[in-house]
Amino acid sequence: MHVVRRFALLILGLLGMPTADAIADGGTRMTVTGEMMDTWCYLSGVMGGAEAVVGSSHHTCALWCAAGGIPVGLLTDDGTVYFVLQMEGSPDVVGSDTLLDVQSDRLVADGIVYERDGNNFIIVEKVVANEGITVLNHTDYGPVPPFAIPELN
Amino acid sequence: MRKLLSMIAAGLVCVASPVSAQESQAESWGLLGEQALRFEGKVTDLLCAITGNCPADCGAGKRQLGLLRDDGSLVVVGKNVQAAFNGGVPDMLPFCGQRVEVDGLMVGEGATKLYQVQLVRPAGSDAVFEKTTRWTDVWAASHPDLAATGDPWFRKDPRVLSRIKAEGYLGLGLEVDRKFIAEW
Repeated sequence: MHVVRRFALLILGLLGMPTADAIADGGTRMTVTGEMMDTWCYLSGVMGGAEAVVGSSHHTCALWCAAGGIPVGLLTDDGTVYFVLQMEGSPDVVGSDTLLDVQSDRLVADGIVYERDGNNFIIVEKVVANEGITVLNHTDYGPVPPFAIPELN
Repeated sequence: MRKLLSMIAAGLVCVASPVSAQESQAESWGLLGEQALRFEGKVTDLLCAITGNCPADCGAGKRQLGLLRDDGSLVVVGKNVQAAFNGGVPDMLPFCGQRVEVDGLMVGEGATKLYQVQLVRPAGSDAVFEKTTRWTDVWAASHPDLAATGDPWFRKDPRVLSRIKAEGYLGLGLEVDRKFIAEW
């Protein structure tokens, strides 16, 4: 039964549908699908609108912010931002290589999610699939910020 | 006599005012949902606050940090005052487990909020607020050769550069970069 349930969760996750399983440690076990992104630029609007601070347009800035220790989030298709608390067992979520390696990528992630005081959090237990960068918006917005590509300045 | 009682009452109100009501000195950045916010809270790591897994050192810089306010609410600290893509962990970690008074900006238009801490000092202290600028000092200490050159850290950080070298600025490969740069 456990195998069947996990298979069903995987399929739903690959379809981009959030799936809830069980309560664990006060959280909810789920499979979520979304882009690993820079929470500061997305929430603050400091670099522009939400659609321009994800994907290929914002990839270099997303690397900068992750390396700078700004919280990395997982943005799902319904607009929920999950602050990443742990990544596949790695306790390092402050500027870590683990996070840099997946910035801007669309992941299917198995983990435990929590909600507190309006914010959502996720412990990513396993990356089920990595689809790479799927939001190809650089031809719409250029690099965001514009100085992200020095050759263009 | 009535005037005297009114003055005393007004004075008591001032004394009893919570810290959060004190005037913020935070600098506006013109951000989405920006709210200047000065308050006291206990520095904690987020994983601890949410799951109860609480190392004494708040994760030694490897966990994201937050502030537990007196009403029990948790504030996510995501940014310091510097303008070069810098987080707030180096400024908050020295206060792990301690109460501090912070001043800064809460941002975000929806339910999800992030706090930019601009100033910090021990709670209940008359000490001058410290600006949250430790991030670049920490980076410079770990990259002494690079720190001496003129470019900002993000232009020369080896981990960032290695990824751009391999995957391009857009993350889609060097050929996509080349074509985009030529045509944009």
